[in-house]
Amino acid sequence: MAGVLETEEQARNRFQSELEFVQCLANPNYLNFLAQRGYLREKPFVNYLKYLLYWKEPEYAKFLKYPHCLHMLELLQYEHFRKELVNAQCAKFIDEQQILHWQHYSRKRTRLQQALAEQQQQQQQQAPAHGNPASK
Amino acid sequence: MAAGERSTKEKLLSALSDMEVLSRELIEMLALSRTQKLPQPGEDTQVLELLVQRDKEFQELMQTAVEQGRIHQEMQQLEKEAEKRDSDIQLLQKQLKEAEHILATAVYQAKEKLKSIEKARKGSISSEEIIKYAHRISASNAVCAPLNWVPGDPRRPYPTDLEMRSGMLGHMSNLPTNGVNGHLPGDALAAGRLPDVLTPQYPWQSDVSMGMLPPHHGNDFGLEPPGHNKENEDDVEAMSTDSSSSSSDSD
Repeated sequence: MAGVLETEEQARNRFQSELEFVQCLANPNYLNFLAQRGYLREKPFVNYLKYLLYWKEPEYAKFLKYPHCLHMLELLQYEHFRKELVNAQCAKFIDEQQILHWQHYSRKRTRLQQALAEQQQQQQQQAPAHGNPASK
Repeated sequence: MAAGERSTKEKLLSALSDMEVLSRELIEMLALSRTQKLPQPGEDTQVLELLVQRDKEFQELMQTAVEQGRIHQEMQQLEKEAEKRDSDIQLLQKQLKEAEHILATAVYQAKEKLKSIEKARKGSISSEEIIKYAHRISASNAVCAPLNWVPGDPRRPYPTDLEMRSGMLGHMSNLPTNGVNGHLPGDALAAGRLPDVLTPQYPWQSDVSMGMLPPHHGNDFGLEPPGHNKENEDDVEAMSTDSSSSSSDSD
């Protein structure tokens, strides 16, 4: 019955450590590290990952700075994913895709800005063309 | 209408045939009496009487027949009425069934609607909170890359090695200073773009409202024999090779 009674101080510390740990799961390199050392194969660890799913609730999720960790946490519930993470290429692939996805919004914004700039350019080109027939 | 009794029609017909027979006899007797005397003196009166009797019977039977006809007509009318009522009832039944179907559909849809309302209400968050949170995760570049990001920039959508080690978990045990996850601290320094490593309080580790407590878990996570608290070990062991459970930390 270990861990049943804990002081508020201990509970607060546990909150902070679990907050940090769950966000570390957003790091695919760290996941690879855990997989290679066999932690992802241990049943207690798997149970702990399932317990960590409470971070999905809104009252807890609002403390997360790196929300990618929630998706990783969900994926980690699957044994197949945990097995695959042993490969370094798998982790690298996830890392690359994650970074590309991370850049999605900034890419979209630059594209929009480019489109807007082109549109303005076109309008400016058309304006002098309209001016000519009037002068005739 | 007992099965043993004869129908009115039969009775009428038999009375008629009787009368026919009697009248024939009478006529024969009358024809005979022209030429010769009657063998029996009172026979003609007898026959006459019988005839009269049969005629009376016949009249009565006719009355009965008329009465029966009237009753039969009434019966038919009543049957027609009953049929009309029957069809009315069937129509009503059909309409009721339709109404029931429509109501059942309406009730079902209303229930679904209520369910979705309840679901929405359960998940309702003030827009201000959402905006605050959105600002928090995007301003720190946690979900959207900074616009000037190029490959080589150490910033990432996850806590980097450095950040992990500067946190509470990292401080729980002594960690070797070599880079473990491909992100050497030297790189960050060399690139000249340090995240706020040196600030003691990381935004990703704690929050202002420290009143938040994690959910209670009364039991071990492992299926190991009791007394073996693996959970703390996993927590800390993940970060270092030393296994020191947090409860034995002395600050």
